[in-house]
Amino acid sequence: MIELKQVWKIFLNGRREVVALRNVSLSVSRGETVAIVGPSGSGKSTLLNLIGGLDRPSHGEILVEGRKLTDLDDDGLARLRREKIGFVFQFFHLLPTLTCMQNVALPLHLRGWPRRRAEARARELLGLVGLAGRLDHLPEELSGGERQRVAIARALAADPPILLADEPTGNLDTRTGQEILALLGELHARLGTTMLIVTHDAQVARSCARVVALRDGQIVDDCAMRDA
Amino acid sequence: MSRTALFAWAVAGALWAQEARQIVEEAQRRSRADSERYQGTLEVIDARGRRNLKRWTYQRLGSHGNSKAIIRFTDPPEVRGVALLILNHPERASDQWMWTPATQRERRIAIQDRSTRFFGTDFSFEDLEERDVNQYEYRMMGEETIEGAPCWKIESRPRKTRASQYSHSLLWIRKENYTLARIENYVGREPVRRANYREVQNVQGIWTPRLIEMHDLRRNSRTLLRLERLEYNVPLKESEFTLQALRRGS
Amino acid sequence: MLLARLSWAYLKKHRLRWALTIGGVALGVAVLVAMRLANQAVVASFHRTVEGIAGRTQLQVHAGDLGFPEEVLERVQAIPEVAAAAPVIEAALDTGLPGQGHLLVVGVDMTGDRSLRDYQFESAEEALLEDPLVFLAQPDSLIVTREFAERNGLRVGSRIPLGTAAGLRWFTIRGIMRPGGLSQAFGGNLAVMDVYSLQHVLGRGRRFDRIDVALREGITLEEGQEALRRALGPGFEVEPPSARGRHFEAILRSFSLTLNITSVFAVLVGMFLIYNSFSVAVAQRRTEIGILRALGANRGQIRRLFLGEAAVAGLIGSGAGALAGWAMARWVAGYVGRLMQEVYGVAQSVESASAEPGLLAAGTGVGVLASLVAAWVPAGAAARVDPVQALQKGRHQVLSAGEYRRRGWLAAASACAAALLLARGRSLGSFYAGYVLAILAALWWTPALSRWLARASRPLLAWLRPVEGALAADSLLQAPRRTSATVAAVMLSLAMVIGFGGVARAIYESLVEWVSTTLNPDLFVTPNAQIASRTYVVPAELGAEIERLPGVRQVQLVRSARIPYQGAPVLLVAAEVAKLAETVHRRPVEGDLEEMYRRTAAGEATIVSESFARLRGLRKGDSIELPAPKGLLRLEIAGIVRDYSDQQGTLLIDRAVYRDWWGDESVNVIRVYLAPGAQAAEVKREILERCGRGRRLFVLANEEVRRYIFRLADQWFGMTYNQIAVAILVAVLGIVNTLTVSITDRRREFGLLLAVGGLRPQVRRTVWMEAVAIGGIGFLLGLGLGAVSLYYSLEMTRRDLAGLSLEYAFPLELAAWLAPVILGAAFLAGLGPAEAAVRGSLVEALEYE
Repeated sequence: MIELKQVWKIFLNGRREVVALRNVSLSVSRGETVAIVGPSGSGKSTLLNLIGGLDRPSHGEILVEGRKLTDLDDDGLARLRREKIGFVFQFFHLLPTLTCMQNVALPLHLRGWPRRRAEARARELLGLVGLAGRLDHLPEELSGGERQRVAIARALAADPPILLADEPTGNLDTRTGQEILALLGELHARLGTTMLIVTHDAQVARSCARVVALRDGQIVDDCAMRDA
Repeated sequence: MSRTALFAWAVAGALWAQEARQIVEEAQRRSRADSERYQGTLEVIDARGRRNLKRWTYQRLGSHGNSKAIIRFTDPPEVRGVALLILNHPERASDQWMWTPATQRERRIAIQDRSTRFFGTDFSFEDLEERDVNQYEYRMMGEETIEGAPCWKIESRPRKTRASQYSHSLLWIRKENYTLARIENYVGREPVRRANYREVQNVQGIWTPRLIEMHDLRRNSRTLLRLERLEYNVPLKESEFTLQALRRGS
Repeated sequence: MLLARLSWAYLKKHRLRWALTIGGVALGVAVLVAMRLANQAVVASFHRTVEGIAGRTQLQVHAGDLGFPEEVLERVQAIPEVAAAAPVIEAALDTGLPGQGHLLVVGVDMTGDRSLRDYQFESAEEALLEDPLVFLAQPDSLIVTREFAERNGLRVGSRIPLGTAAGLRWFTIRGIMRPGGLSQAFGGNLAVMDVYSLQHVLGRGRRFDRIDVALREGITLEEGQEALRRALGPGFEVEPPSARGRHFEAILRSFSLTLNITSVFAVLVGMFLIYNSFSVAVAQRRTEIGILRALGANRGQIRRLFLGEAAVAGLIGSGAGALAGWAMARWVAGYVGRLMQEVYGVAQSVESASAEPGLLAAGTGVGVLASLVAAWVPAGAAARVDPVQALQKGRHQVLSAGEYRRRGWLAAASACAAALLLARGRSLGSFYAGYVLAILAALWWTPALSRWLARASRPLLAWLRPVEGALAADSLLQAPRRTSATVAAVMLSLAMVIGFGGVARAIYESLVEWVSTTLNPDLFVTPNAQIASRTYVVPAELGAEIERLPGVRQVQLVRSARIPYQGAPVLLVAAEVAKLAETVHRRPVEGDLEEMYRRTAAGEATIVSESFARLRGLRKGDSIELPAPKGLLRLEIAGIVRDYSDQQGTLLIDRAVYRDWWGDESVNVIRVYLAPGAQAAEVKREILERCGRGRRLFVLANEEVRRYIFRLADQWFGMTYNQIAVAILVAVLGIVNTLTVSITDRRREFGLLLAVGGLRPQVRRTVWMEAVAIGGIGFLLGLGLGAVSLYYSLEMTRRDLAGLSLEYAFPLELAAWLAPVILGAAFLAGLGPAEAAVRGSLVEALEYE
């Protein structure tokens, strides 16, 4: 499903080279939920961005659903994201000027779905995340948790096999965070989506079947917790 | 200084002035002729020795203050036919017209500034005007010999009514025949033009200098005017001195 | 100066936008400085010519273009206060020399002229030229400047051809003047000729243009002026040479006004760009401002921070603009100079526009000041930023319903006020205030209107490209502040274009009507190569000769010339009015055509052009007094018509009146009407063969005259076209600027689009469509405001500029032509931002802000 082979990522920070990922190899099977933990700067987000095709590795190979990302051009990556991957960000990244429904329907629009169908799907998804009553609200009219629900709905809009979440609870209070986690767990159970969740929240990690710990760009621990 | 002495000096001065004026009057009387005609050669020699030669014929009717004159250029070819009509008036500046055959028209020449040079010569227009005795004050300055001829030396100053570019002039008049020997014109203390009158000949009873050399002291340029085939009292008609006559040419 | 670092960091991040903003200021200042310098250069060059020729002249006696009989000279010379008086004729003649154009020939009387003017000849010729005899005796004599001689490889004795009344004739160079004084006039393209020969050359008869006067010592200028006026009567102008410069400036005035409007417009453009950029910058830096405020910066410090940035941007832009303007000035000055000579026959040769430090500094100052003023409102907005709100994200793009309403009310109020001022206002101030209010109303309405139009355009865009179109339309709808800023930029520029273009078109159409009703003879016979030129004249007998030719039905003699009227030159046209009445049926503005022709033909009245009447507040029935050599000619205005012969106004009188009061028999245009069935080409050949021998004569077919007039008109409109070009450029700059801002502003948004599966071509097309949609909305609103602006522009033309009342007609062709230009420009403007949106790191884009 997802395979990283000896992946390096080196940033140039001014004249200084910063090694974000150091020879990382990782394999994630279909339907797994994986928490990626580690202190800030350990390379968690970089790892996620590489898997999502938002960024490219300096060395090494990444395979997603059997496709080698390094062989794809930018548009190939975009197509891959469109078909296989949903993103959830720490800061939600909703378009402030679009309503909840429009935000969720956006990826479908981009896929060229007819408006009616896209909106029906968005309504369905927003129902799924418990926001059926907030279809026409703007993001700023929602609470943080609600916003993240919209973001999750958007990520799942096109029914991707993989969901990548970068600190999905990082910007939320503990209770809301828990709710979001519960939602993710529920969705995983219902849809069987492969999930990679970057977090430094122990509780989040605990909710995942597998925890991969990163430090200074290297995997220092990779253990299964319990069956999700 | 005593009163008597002052009086004596004043009388002497008046006498001298009287005498100077009489001499000039006499000179004017002696040169008087009802008409005149000559062929003039005008040679300008500038400071660098370059020469420029022109010839004209000159005719005059009437004399002193009331005369009319006509000048027709004959040489060089570029200016042949150009003519100048001068009508002198005793009480005001002369009227002058110029005729240019190529354009077939006469033009009035306004000599508002009479200190300008007469057609590139060292004479100014004022120098060519006839001096009327009554327009000047005279003073006897003594006696001197000019080019071998004993002369009276007389200072003339224009009266207020007579505007002149010169502040005063010195005249040398030959005792022998009352002809002019030299004029020196001054602006302040500086002599600016000097004319020598030479080659005096008796023409029809009138003693006449046949060569006038005008020296512009500031430009260091000289003009020689030679009078040839000079005749006095020739029969000339008034009708020859009109604009119509000027246009006709001759 | 820690705060300056913040500015610097922001500036570095938005280089392109600042470049565009500074470019806008630079453009404004450049145009301002160029126009001013050019104007100065033209005036200075004219003054140089006048002064160079004037020499020691203290006063000049003249009577307009027509000149006066020679006898006047004696009257002047007889005045006791006058020390020297010398006649002068000036004319710019075409030299047959390749590339030399016109030679300004000054005719003087060498015998008396020396006391007025310095002629410093090359030393070798001194002796020769000290003697004017040869110069006067040979009528082909010419003295030229050393510059002209060197340019053309001429020496004393060389011969050059000049256009004379008798055709091309050869002239001999008899002297070469040293540089200095007289030689500086007319850029050195100057020659001195005997005044009487020049009369002959021009076919003018025994007339002079002017008498130059030096006064006796101790006589003041005023005393001299008084004495001359007393002696000559009211028909003559007695003025110091510098007054000619004033006349010239009067001619130049309407033109300067156009230049000034262009400059003001250019500066406004710069201000708009500054305002635009700073509004965006303030919006973008809300968080930064919030942090600064949270850290204890007070409102004054925030305001000063932004004003300081504006001042620096203004200084850099203005400095660069001033230098660019200096570089442009030479070109503009040359253009204006040529125009002045062609249209007005004013001898003119602009060789340089000097970099006047004062003016460059003033231009820079204006630029900085304009930047500060433009940044004042955004800086104030920055100062009012609430630190708590600022630290929350994503609020400011949305306009609340309340704000829409507020703006709507403001718009309605100012529109009402504008309408009221228009209906009731009489004064100049209320008129312009109304204009400003109308524009403000449009600006306040822009957000609502553009939202409405964006909504209306959504189906169209979505139909064109379902995904990208819908995205683009939504983006427009959801960021009204951003959208309306660009839309306003496009709208304002376009309104300006429609205003200028509409006036140009209205003048053009009115001009066409004038040409077809008034200039309807089959042939025009004139001694001048161009119909508008009046350098040469022909005797009236020529008319009779032509009338006897077979195929000729009627000839009409015309003498036209510029005469001074109340200190400004106007065009006097003396024609055979009774004959004119038969052939010219124009639409009068005031009065009855038949009656005005009858009364003018009878010599008791005049027909004046609308411009003449309007610019001087005159109406039908008013009396005017014209200075003529014979005295003051009093005529009643019997009618007002449209006439484009001259900008300052035209007066039509009967030829008989002219002959009587001006004592001139000459003619400069003969209008020839052909008998039915006669061939124009044949009659033309006949005229040239029978009458043209040994005479400078041009026979122009109606078609040629029309073409010439339209070419002249085109030259006049050249400036307007430049303004239109600048306005379009502003529109484009505005679109580029706001779009660039909008895109950089939305990098995260685009990053997100790409992250959630958008393809690059999709994002690109979205941005393109957004740009084109903004252009389109701005275009539509611009047409609307343009309709209003055109009304005001026409009013302005009528009231203040040209005194022409023109019919309102919306320039539809211009609009049709502008549509692809604006949309194309918008599209081009969108290209860069679109690329910026899809290039670069997605990770960074998502982390942006």
